[in-house]
Formats: sequence, C-alpha cells, structure tokens
Amino acid sequence: MIEQSLSGAEAAPEAGRPELWPSTSTIARSPGQMVWERFRRHPGAVSGSLLLGLLILGVVLAFLSPYDPIQGNLGAKLQPPSWKHPMGTDALGRDLFTRVLYGGRISLTVGLLVVVIVLAIGVTVGSLAGFFGGWVDNLLMRITDAALSLPSLLVLILAGAVLREVGGDFFRRNNVVTIAVVIGLLSWMTVARLVRAAFLTIREQEFIMAAHCIGVPRWRIVTRHMLPNAVGPIIVEATLELGYAIMEEAGLSFLGFGIQPPTPSWGNLLSDAQTHLARHPWLAVFPGVMIFLTIISVNYIGDGLRDAFDPYKVLAKVGVV
Amino acid sequence: MRAIRSLCWIVPLVVLPILVAGCGPRPAPTQTPTAGIPPSAPTATPAAEKTRITIVIPEDPPNFNASIFDNGYDALVMELVLLGLADIDPYGNVFPELAAELPTEANGGVVVHEDGTMDVTWKLREDVLWADGTPVTADDVIFTYEAIIDPETGLWVPGIDYIDSIEKVDSHTLIIHYNTIYPSYLTQFGGEQMVIWPAHYCDPEQGFVAWDCGRQPLSDGPYILQEWITGDHLTFVRNPNYYQKGKPYIDEILVKIVPDDAVQKTMLVEGDADLMMWVSEAIVEELKNEPNAKVSIAPSGRWVMRLFPNLAARGTIDPKSTPHPILSDVRVRRAIRMAIDVDTISKNIFYGYAKPVWTEFFREPYVCPVPRPAYDPAGAAALLEEAGWKDTDGDGIRECHGCLNAPEGYAMKMEFMTYAEYGEPLELTHQLIAEQLRAVGIDLQLTVMQGNVLWADYASGGIEQHGDFDLNLWDDGYAGIDPTDFLWEQYHSSAAEPDAGWNVVRWINPEFDALLEETYTLDETRRKEVFCQIAQLLEEELPCILLFTTINADAHSARLSGVQSTVNDIVTWNVADWKVVP
Amino acid sequence: MGTYLIRRVLQAIPLLFLLSIFFFALVNIVPGGPLAGYGRSKHIRPEKAAALKRQLGLDKPLVVQYVIWLVGNDWMPPVDLDGDGIAETRGTRRGILRGDFGYSFTTRQPVLKEIGARVPNTLYLMGITIAVALLAAIPIGILSAIKQYSFFDITLTTFSFAGQAIPEFWLGLILILVFYSTLSLLPAGGMYTIGAPFSVGDRLRHLVLPVLAGAVGWVAWYSRFLRSSMLDVIHQDYIRTARAKGLSEWVVIMRHALPNALAPLVTILCLDLPYLFAGAVFVETIFSWPGMGRLYYQAACQRDYPLLMALLMITATVMVFSNLLADLIYALLDPRIRYD
Repeated sequence: MIEQSLSGAEAAPEAGRPELWPSTSTIARSPGQMVWERFRRHPGAVSGSLLLGLLILGVVLAFLSPYDPIQGNLGAKLQPPSWKHPMGTDALGRDLFTRVLYGGRISLTVGLLVVVIVLAIGVTVGSLAGFFGGWVDNLLMRITDAALSLPSLLVLILAGAVLREVGGDFFRRNNVVTIAVVIGLLSWMTVARLVRAAFLTIREQEFIMAAHCIGVPRWRIVTRHMLPNAVGPIIVEATLELGYAIMEEAGLSFLGFGIQPPTPSWGNLLSDAQTHLARHPWLAVFPGVMIFLTIISVNYIGDGLRDAFDPYKVLAKVGVV
Repeated sequence: MRAIRSLCWIVPLVVLPILVAGCGPRPAPTQTPTAGIPPSAPTATPAAEKTRITIVIPEDPPNFNASIFDNGYDALVMELVLLGLADIDPYGNVFPELAAELPTEANGGVVVHEDGTMDVTWKLREDVLWADGTPVTADDVIFTYEAIIDPETGLWVPGIDYIDSIEKVDSHTLIIHYNTIYPSYLTQFGGEQMVIWPAHYCDPEQGFVAWDCGRQPLSDGPYILQEWITGDHLTFVRNPNYYQKGKPYIDEILVKIVPDDAVQKTMLVEGDADLMMWVSEAIVEELKNEPNAKVSIAPSGRWVMRLFPNLAARGTIDPKSTPHPILSDVRVRRAIRMAIDVDTISKNIFYGYAKPVWTEFFREPYVCPVPRPAYDPAGAAALLEEAGWKDTDGDGIRECHGCLNAPEGYAMKMEFMTYAEYGEPLELTHQLIAEQLRAVGIDLQLTVMQGNVLWADYASGGIEQHGDFDLNLWDDGYAGIDPTDFLWEQYHSSAAEPDAGWNVVRWINPEFDALLEETYTLDETRRKEVFCQIAQLLEEELPCILLFTTINADAHSARLSGVQSTVNDIVTWNVADWKVVP
Repeated sequence: MGTYLIRRVLQAIPLLFLLSIFFFALVNIVPGGPLAGYGRSKHIRPEKAAALKRQLGLDKPLVVQYVIWLVGNDWMPPVDLDGDGIAETRGTRRGILRGDFGYSFTTRQPVLKEIGARVPNTLYLMGITIAVALLAAIPIGILSAIKQYSFFDITLTTFSFAGQAIPEFWLGLILILVFYSTLSLLPAGGMYTIGAPFSVGDRLRHLVLPVLAGAVGWVAWYSRFLRSSMLDVIHQDYIRTARAKGLSEWVVIMRHALPNALAPLVTILCLDLPYLFAGAVFVETIFSWPGMGRLYYQAACQRDYPLLMALLMITATVMVFSNLLADLIYALLDPRIRYD
C-alpha cells in the first residue's frame, strides 16, 4: 500500500496537471514538502485551517476583552447582542463574547490535551505491538480490544468521578485535566491500531531488515524509520480527535458531568442556555456556532491531511487512473 | 427538591415488555389486580366525552411505595391510588382519609398515661373498599405496620420506633400503643410518605420494600392503575367505587415520562400536557404570558437554600479539639450572613420568586418572630475586623490578626462547594455569593460536586460525612408539618457522628438537645414555645446560615382546575377534586 | 478459520472475566453510593440506610460482593439480614454465571426484566436511524467519490461535516421547537400516541424527529467512510480494465467498484452493532424515548450497581463479539485475508 502510493506520487508529475501537481515537483523534495504542497491546494483544508487559526487567535487574545469572564454586572443582564456586547450578556450580566472566548480556551485545551494523551498512549502501544509482535502484540491488542469494549459515555461519567476521588486534590481542582484525561484514556485505541498496522506493513520490508543487519539500535529503527511511515494516518486521526473531544465535553456538560462552572466551556455554556432557549436564544446560539465552526474546520483539515498524506487519492482528480 | 437536571434521580421499571413498532397492535393493557372491574367504568356525571389529563414527569416512579425511595414521583402516583389514615392540606391542616374522624385528646381518641406513654384509637370509615370489593379494615393497618417493622424486609419510617404495638379492637377500630408522647401521630400512617396496604393482596413473604403490590397496587383511592409501560407512561382510570361519591371528576389520568424539562414546558404550552411538577422560577416566569398555562404556587416554600459552615477543621469531626480556623467563630458566620444580599439573588436569578428566610421556623404551624437580619456589607466588614480578620497586606483578602482559632497571618480563603444537579440557578447563586463575600474580603474557591458524592455515606466517601469541606451551599428542608426529625438529624449532637445523622457542620449544643426533647408533648402552645426557643438559640449560634426558599410550584393547563401546590404533600394530594373545564 | 474462530471465542472469556473485575471495581470505587440518591431530602436517615445496606448486601466486603455477583450466595452460609447479629437468612442469588443478574436497587425488579423492556425500543429506534443514515450515506459517498472535489462533493462534504458538528441534544431541541412548537407538524416525543389504536402512520410520525436528530451524525460518518473506500477502489487496475473494456461508467461503478467499496463499510457496520443495543442517551432524553441510553444514564447516576454491572457486561460482550464478527466478515469479503 505504502509502496503503491509512493510510486503513485512519482507518477503524478508525468501526468502534467500543473494546477495540482506543479512542475517544480520534479525537483527533489522532502516528503514533508510534498505533503504541505498537496495540503495547501486542498480548498477545504485551507479554509478550515484559516478558520481554526482565527478561533485560536481569538481565544488566545481573550484577555484583551474589557469584560471579566466570571464577574458580572447585574445591571446589564440578559441583554441581546449589541455593539457593546456582540453576543449579548448572560443571566449575571457577563459579556457572552468574552465568556465564549474564555470557554473556547477551555474547550480547545481539553481537545489538545486529549490529542496529546491519545498520541502518547496510542503511539506507544501501537509501536510496541507492531514492532515486537508475538505475545507483546497479542497482549497489547487484547488490552486495546478491552478498551474498545467499554461503553464510553457511561465509563466517562464513572471514571471522571473516580479520578476526582482517587486522584486527590489535583484532579478535584483541575476539572479540565480530569475531563481530558478521562476522554483521552477512552480514545487512544484507534491510533494504537493505526500505528500497529503501519508497523506490521513496514516491519518486513528490506530497508528495515537492512537496518537491523547493520546494527542500528531498535529505538532508532522505530523512531527514524518506522514511525515516520505511520505519521500520515496518525496526524489525521489526531486532528479528528480534537473535534471528538470538544463534542464529548459538550455532551458531558449536557448531562451535568462536564467542566463545572464558574469556568466557562463551550459545552457548559451551551447546556446552561437550554433553559433560556425560548427567551434568550443568543445564549445558546453563539456557543453552538463556535462548536460548529471548530468541528467543521477540524474535519476539513483532517480531510485535507488525509488526501495530502495519501496522494493516491488525489490522483483521481489528476486523472492518472 | 426540584432538580433541574432531574433526569438523574431514578430508574424505570417494567410491567410490560414494550412492543416494537410494526409488530402489530399494542398489547392489551395489563390489568391491575382489579381485573373484575371494567377499566372504563361509567362516570358519575353523564358526560358524553371522557375527560383525560396528562401529567408529565421526567422519570418513572420506582414504585408506588413512597416510604422507600421518596423521590416525589412515587408519592405522586401513590396519592392517585392509595389512602392513608389521614393527610395534610397545603396549609398544614390534617384531615381524615381512611379514618372516620381524627383522634384527639378532646374526643377521647388519645389517652396519655402517667408513665409518659400514650394510646391512640383510630376508627376507620366503613365505606372504603379495595378495588376488588374487599373492605379496608383494621387488619390492613396492622399488616402495614408489621411489614414495616419486619427486620429483614422492612424499613425505618418516621416515628416507627415509638410504637410498641397495635391492637385490633374490632374490624374497623384499632389502638396504637406508643412508648412515648409522639406529637406527629396523626400523619404517621398517612401524609406524604405513608399509606395503608391491603393485607389480603400484598405478599408478606416478599416484604415491604420489594413486594409486587408496590408496583401493581390494589387501589382504594380515587384512581386505578390500568397500564404501566416502563419508561413511557402510566395510565390511571377513575375508581367507580371511590368512597367520596361523585368523585373523582376526571375519567382518566395519563402520567407520561418526558425527561427533558424544556420539552415538558413546550408540551404544556402547546396543550399536550396538563400538569408539570415542580417548575423552576424561570419556567414560572415564562409561563406567565402563556394563555394555555397556569401556575399554582404553594403558600410557602419547603426547600431552604442555605450555607453549611463546617465548625470543625476540614476532614475532622470534632469542633472542640480541632475547630475550623475561620468558621468556628460565630462572628464570622454572622458577618457572612450580613454580607449576602438575598434580595439581589432572588431578583436576578430567581425572578423574584425566592423568598428570604432566616430561621427554620418560617412556615405554619411553627412561625417564630425572629427579626430579619439586614444586608449590611459595611457591618459585616466591621464585624470581621472585630473578630480579628483584617487585610493588612492590601490584597483585598483578610488575614488573621488576633482571630479566634487560626494562626496569625492565616488568609481568609476557603473552598465553597455546591452540587451540580440543580442546574443553572444554583450555579449562578453560588457565583454571586462568592462575589459578595469577596467584596468583604473573604476569598472563596468554587467547587461544584455531584450530589451523590456530596451526600454519600461515610464508607462511600461522602464529602459531608467526612467533614471534608469548608462552606457548602444547597437546599434542604422537611415535608409535612413536624420539624422534629429534621431538627434532630440536622442539629442534634448525636447526629454529628459519621453516618449517625446529618449534623455535618458538627454543632454540639446540649441546650439544643434538651430543648428538642421537650417538643415531645401534645400541648401545642408549649410546643410552639419550645420551637421558638430553639429558633432563638439557632439565631444566636448560627450553625447553619439560611438564605431563602425557592419556589414550590406546579404548572398546569388552563383547562384543569383545582390544582393546589403544596409543600406538605405532593401536588396530587387532592386529585379527586380536580376538574376539567372546557 | 474454524480454529481461529474457536481461539477468538476462547480468548473472549478471560477478557470478559477481567473486564467484569474492572467494571466491578469501577462502579464500586466511584464515590457516592446507591444510598445517597434515596429521597428528595437528599439525606437518608441512618436507621433506613443501615437496613437498606443489609438488604442490598452492601455491608459485605467488596470481594464477597463480587463473588456473590459472579456465582451467587445460595450455597453460602446464611447471612444476618435483620441486624440482630445472628446469621439466619439463606441467600437466594444465583450469580451471573447461572444467569442471575440480580435485582435493581431502585425498583427491586430483576435486572434482566428492566433491560428486556428497553432493548426492543432501542433496537427499533437505532435500527431505523442507522438504516436511514445508510440510505442517505451510500449515494452521497459514491457520488462525492466519483466526483471528487466537484461542487457537489464540496457541498455534500460540508453538509456531512455540519451533521457531525451539531451536538445531538441541541439539534433535538431545535427540531422540537421548529416542527412541534412552531409548525405543529410532528409530536414532541414518545413512541406512539398513547391510547390511540395502532397505526403505522402514527409510529412514523413519532419516528421522524428522533431519527433525524440521530441520523445526521451517522450519515456524516458513513458517507465519509464510503467516499474514502470508494476512492481506494476506483484507482485499482481492475476498474481501469473494466473501463478499458468499454463498459459504461454506470456499470463500472455499480457492478465493479461499489461491491468492493462496500466491503469495508460492512465491517464498520459490524463494529457499530453495539450502538444498536446501547442506544443514544441524548436523543432518547430529548424525545422521551424509553430506550437503553436513558437506562444507562439513570443507572449510572443512581449508582444502581446490579443494573449498571449488567449493562456494562452485556454491552462489553456485544462489543467483543461484534469485533469478532467484523474480523470474520472482513475475511469473508476479502479472500486475500486468511486467519489461521
């Protein structure tokens, strides 16, 4: 499969479709450059990245807001959107725009933490299983199966409570970490499987055997030769995981198990808005839109990355089939 | 409690397997034990059209026995089908149900003996029948009592330990022998939680907590359970043999399970629901302008939003040897109360429906003249200064400089905890109170916990039982008209031991313990006097800071009349009087 | 193949056993016991709590509770149920190994009866939801693959991403506001009109909104999946050969490409089987649907251990076996894969 796609990539320039495959690509280029080249030509991926970039920028710059995300002004409560309060104000008179930005910090932090946890566990488990094979592989894959057998929402609810209890004060005070750890612990399995599958494919190839023969240390074989070959699917999966995590947090909030107030998150802003749906709809609309935009852009980026890492598919457009 | 996200509170059951669509017509409804009686018996009024109302509740009742779980939904359906000896109206008056009249000292129904025991003689009505035609008799009362006290399958219910025995005089007369003076004897086998169960129908082998008749009850009340599709709905039809002739007026009651309260409200507005229990202030406000909906508000609230200041240091349970560094000083507690603006909270978060409350004795029949404390942040600051809490480093947070129980320089920082299930209004109240206390130099760190972690028993790691908190905020209160059990578990010194009660603020006061003993008298004037002495004591010591009652309201459709919300019982207490007006 | 199957099934047994220990530990470590939820007043009286603990068997050490859950207590020495210190009551539980999942703490009904009442409703809703999702996803997936990067593809891609980006509970509430409240077209929830005679139309009317709210996310998932496997297939040599033979594009796609592109989708469908059973808590909550999702959620909130354990174990079993089924079907559909 990998072999095929590599040869496919080389075949591309010959097809002479400059709009997607610029002639410059005949010059020797690193795989990373090629991926980037393809990625930036994917219309959805580009707009998705721009959008996500904007969201992140807004969230990072939230401190510029003249309003406080926690302290309210009861004199200005439940105001509809206006120039002063672009998204209106909530029941305590807090500027919703500010809260949505701060909430975005929390939601995106949860998302990123989950991605980090998923990558850490998934890549480790997948590499070990794929590299060693045999009983290690068997054991790790059975553990993965077991983790996949957990009914996730239910376990999320229970595990969150356990972590707060057993993990002590740190987890009790750091809701964001708790939620992220729990979501992460329940979502690394796909990455592990992807990494393992990629390893299994590569393991038997000549260049790995050659590396073994000339005495390259194992960890170096893994990190320098095998892991890079699995990087595509991992990155795609990690991107999508960011979106899943944000949705999971929103769902948990709806059930009352998400990030707890007064810390705003898109999830709890949205679920708190439920009671106001009929009379103060803006409270629900804006956090909902933010979640919506984030997931859409993340999906587009994932889509673009997938195509970029798997040039074989792009060839359809080019017509090399 | 009216949990906003009340999805969480109980579990559904099964009477019938539910049919998958497309497999044919719905199965014939399960007949209640009263199969002999046609489910749609002729109504008293020769109305052409059958009247039917729909009650929406968020989850199935666990069963019809409200003594076990008591989440309100069991009480709701229990009131439809079963009767107690006596019941309480919304104003605190007790009225007879199965009893022919209420036994009192005056009519000779109650005899107090010299040794401090008493006997209560109940005469039952002779015209009340179980739905299978069997009369309700003294045997049923005795059967119910014996089922409750069965050590293997029974349960504790209020006052049950005070009964020595029950003696049958004749088929409709019985005497309850008490081993003490028990002032709440009138509602012991009635009221909100208790009813009389049919001896000939319930299986004593199965036991009080698990018997089948708790799920398929034999009715002696205004309605008969016709069908129960778990998780979906319960259907009740009019009991044609109900003892109050001509009642009930409505032919059929449908109790529909609708978990989301936004959806419940929409159904009410659209005319697809006739009664929604325990509506929140926000919904009351929204329904104000809806032509289809009306709201019945109880004469007073039941749940008092309150602060629980831990008098013992975190994680300990002895306020004497390990006092709380900040909250053990009554001046600090008083200052906290002065710094909280209840009116602002009510106006901005509870749409003005929350009523300020500052003493446990705020509702009939025990109302004590405790003056309302003023909202006075400046006074609070002065009091804190006096108590040795001053801000000398200018960070806006006070530190201990000569305070009672903390080391010099100890910052006035605490954890402030509440529970998640209540939903947005409590979240906001939590935040607003923290803001107001921050303004007088008390720094609170906010934590929101799951209720069943907060209130779990000691072995399950319950935060309150472990004393693992500083200041907690939540709503508590009692049903019915007798506060003694509530006062005991909340304030009595023996309730301060882990898992022995709920005196989780660990307030130890022998004077209170003694006063509570004195309330066990039938002399109402004396009782009121003692309760007001208790009120005075609680006001001086402030072991608990009461803030306000939340609304107790039920919303109903405009076509449904006779609904009266109550805190002494559940809204269906007078269901037989409800009418549908076209 | 046969030995592979037997080996996998045998492997599932210790897996499920270990999972049961994990689950048992999990539900018991979770702070907050089943008694904390008793009562509106939030505080259960100690006298009542003690009786309930004995009756529910919560007074025993965890290990003993686990053994009772697994193999029952009818063979054990009698226990003290009435709290008088004398053990005189014989156990009646037979344990899950003998098919006894115990009684729900809250309703005191057999756990299997509780679950049995919900499973058909959930299969019904989720079956139709997934079927509808597939019906929509297959054409979308095919078209957006063969017209990759066309306007059509981009539009559909955007729509399917949008479907994934709206939280179900949020979409559900909006649908009710629009179709029930404002337009008065469809019912707000429930499975059928109570009291009305059975009619297919009535059932369908009650299905529209929950299926819509639930299916949107699945459409996105399946159509993206199919699009990508379709893209894989149409670049294969045999498709080129088929085209070269002069077959019409329709025949090439429908006869040669589609069956191969559907194979991985079938695998994915097997992996999704547990959802048919587990239901969707958000849709069920908003649309008052008496299904498994809500039962799960309530059991978790209520800390109804026997119900929770049964739900966890049954779901885990379904998941383990649908994984196995997915592998088998994959091998069946793709002769290149051999298990031995």
